[in-house]
Amino acid sequence: MGGKKGLLFDVTLCIGCGACYEACKERNRLPRTVAHFLDDQLSDRTYTVVKKRGGRFIRQLCMHCEVPTCVSVCPVGALEKTATGPVIYHEARCIGCRYCMLACPFDIPKYEWGKVLPRVRKCDLCADRLAAGRPTACAEVCPTGATKFGDRQALIEEARARIRARPQKYVPRIYGLEEVGGTSVLLLSDVPFERLGYRTDLLSEPLPLLTWQVLQKIPDFVVVGSVLLGGIWWITNRRREVQIREREERKRRGASEEVSRDPSASGFVGPSQEEE
Amino acid sequence: MRWSFRRPSFWQLVFIVILGAGLYSTVIRFTRGLGASTALSDAFPWGLWIGFDVLCGVALAAGGFTLSAVVYIFNIERFRPIIRPTILTAFLGYVLVIVALLFDLGRPYRIWHPLVMWNPHSVMFEVAWCVMLYTTVLALEFSPMVFERLRLERPLRILHALTVPLVILGVILSTLHQSSLGSLYLIVPEKLHPLWYSPLLPVFFFISAIALGCAMTIFESFLSYRAFRKRLEIDLLADLGKVTVVALAVYLVLRVQDLARRDVLARALEPTYEGRMFLAETLMGVIGPILLLSIRRIRMDHFGLFVSAVLVVLGFIMNRLNVSITGMEASSGVSYFPSWTELSVTLMIVALGFAFFGLAVKYLPVFPEMERLPAPTLVEPPAVAVLRRPWIGTTPLVLILGGIFFVSAMGSAYSGLQYRERMFAPATSGEESEPEIAEGLERFEVPPDITFPQGEASPGPVTFRHASHLNWERPNCTVCHHEPFRILKASGRGAPSPARDLHDERHCGRCHDGRTSFSVKEDCTACHRP
Repeated sequence: MGGKKGLLFDVTLCIGCGACYEACKERNRLPRTVAHFLDDQLSDRTYTVVKKRGGRFIRQLCMHCEVPTCVSVCPVGALEKTATGPVIYHEARCIGCRYCMLACPFDIPKYEWGKVLPRVRKCDLCADRLAAGRPTACAEVCPTGATKFGDRQALIEEARARIRARPQKYVPRIYGLEEVGGTSVLLLSDVPFERLGYRTDLLSEPLPLLTWQVLQKIPDFVVVGSVLLGGIWWITNRRREVQIREREERKRRGASEEVSRDPSASGFVGPSQEEE
Repeated sequence: MRWSFRRPSFWQLVFIVILGAGLYSTVIRFTRGLGASTALSDAFPWGLWIGFDVLCGVALAAGGFTLSAVVYIFNIERFRPIIRPTILTAFLGYVLVIVALLFDLGRPYRIWHPLVMWNPHSVMFEVAWCVMLYTTVLALEFSPMVFERLRLERPLRILHALTVPLVILGVILSTLHQSSLGSLYLIVPEKLHPLWYSPLLPVFFFISAIALGCAMTIFESFLSYRAFRKRLEIDLLADLGKVTVVALAVYLVLRVQDLARRDVLARALEPTYEGRMFLAETLMGVIGPILLLSIRRIRMDHFGLFVSAVLVVLGFIMNRLNVSITGMEASSGVSYFPSWTELSVTLMIVALGFAFFGLAVKYLPVFPEMERLPAPTLVEPPAVAVLRRPWIGTTPLVLILGGIFFVSAMGSAYSGLQYRERMFAPATSGEESEPEIAEGLERFEVPPDITFPQGEASPGPVTFRHASHLNWERPNCTVCHHEPFRILKASGRGAPSPARDLHDERHCGRCHDGRTSFSVKEDCTACHRP
């Protein structure tokens, strides 16, 4: 076993037979949703689809990011990136906030909107089959090898070799090598990826870094902020106490001389409130 | 707004209607699920309940931490008279945010999960903890009103000793999660429209929350003045107006600078739906109030101050909705408008806020100085008092600004309509104009013909040709190879055995049944060629 597993989907090899679609439905015991598989959309009852785009057949499924956005945003850790590659969902933890759906750069997680107690649904890279040393259902049934299962590193090597062997054919890019920090599902194509409907405007660094840059400052902020606020309170409070004491002292010294010198009717005038 | 059973007022009737509709929607939400009760979808998972109830609810309660910092930490005692209603508002605001979350969460009974299931990498996790802790802090800050009423001296003394640490904790927590509500959207750089997405989102959310907190304090003081005939500390509120101007100005400068640095400032002036919404938000909620509140005459004027505060509140509600809804629509590919169920639940939550505030004022010492008010200020009905004010000077300015808002609102509504039409148009781009599918299939070698030998009493051998069984426009190998001829099946694969009768409905007969295609019983020579 060892390394991280993954899938290599070569657009040039796909003939649009729909075997992966059917195998996914079969393995996950999902009901039939449309008459022809090409018309289907990802949903709580469909974890992978085949689409006809740019004169090619493409697949859509969870990309199983190396640093998954969904895993980072989930407040209760209901999503997990396992050591072998799959991003899996722990149903019993999920509170249903749907932040994973909002945050996923590939719009993969879907929700059981029709249920009173809904779950998030998506491809889990056949985690149970992987654990048993078998490939994903979609890769196993693929008749042309368009969807290939293997070690991610080995698949990257193979993808590079395919591009090297036929440089005039392939777009010189492995989609998923760098997108949002890399994905377990890698794509090869002879048509520009944006024409196939894949997002090409994604950052090359993992999206969780964007929020982590802010979140990691919190402990410092709490400590520094508390001390700062405490300090400000100490200063202003001390100033007030001194003022009160001075006033009392003046009162004691004799009412006759301090009438005109009283600071103000409302007493204390502090620093301007615009400071914060 | 006065709650007495003898005299059912107009507002009481409105409240009853809103409550009725809200309760009905509540039943629908919890018996039939989110799909049946909301306009949310896989493409648009967060709607009004997050955009308004949570984002705005938390921000509108920001007066609590702003003012308690001013009074307790900066020791500016002048503001003490208005601190209690502000704390009350903040406390109610947070409780109602939690109520709203119970509606929005798919599994509301697990709302406590973040307490024991940690993910410190999640902004939502941080927000959950801050909201829980700050609600507790607010409950403690609010509780003296209850203890005073019940004349419980000991807890009052304990709380009094704890005031400063509590306030510091409250300010820290508020700062953290007011900004974190903005951080929630840091992770969608490619989804949120560039007019609203910014690495500075947390800073914008925090600064605008301060402005909003002050404006809400002004707004609610006016409501209290009218509803409970409470004295209006116009000089205090005018000073809060000044703070609002400073916060708004800082916000505006940072915002414009950020847009300019990211090279998207020009997109604000484009005649798009987003551009108009941005302009409306900025004109109404930021530039308008800055202009109005900078003028001392308007700031010291009842009507002028009230209108300015309302503009700030409306503008920032619009900002939060723009971040959460307008800015997300284009990338989602769908148009979202809340269902009546969502709207009525939100209305009910707002109405409950007003009702609880009224009840608290009636039964608790929220305005402790009320009793000490001189009688004459109470004689004139508040409506008349507002109308009598010398606000003639402010009229032209208000009219001009109102005109700008009206025009921009109409413009955005119009382009919003166009936008929606565009959204609902069938997605044709890129699919129909592309080269024919054959290009993709060129590499595909159709499996060779299969000849089944002639059986006993058979009119002849059958040669199966893949080519004649393939729909070249929309091939679907799995029609045959998933079920009848299980070659492409993940489990229990296997080619049909030629020894068996293939006429049955599990093989050729599945489609050659007389409906899908000609029947195996019709013309034997159609397949059996001697």
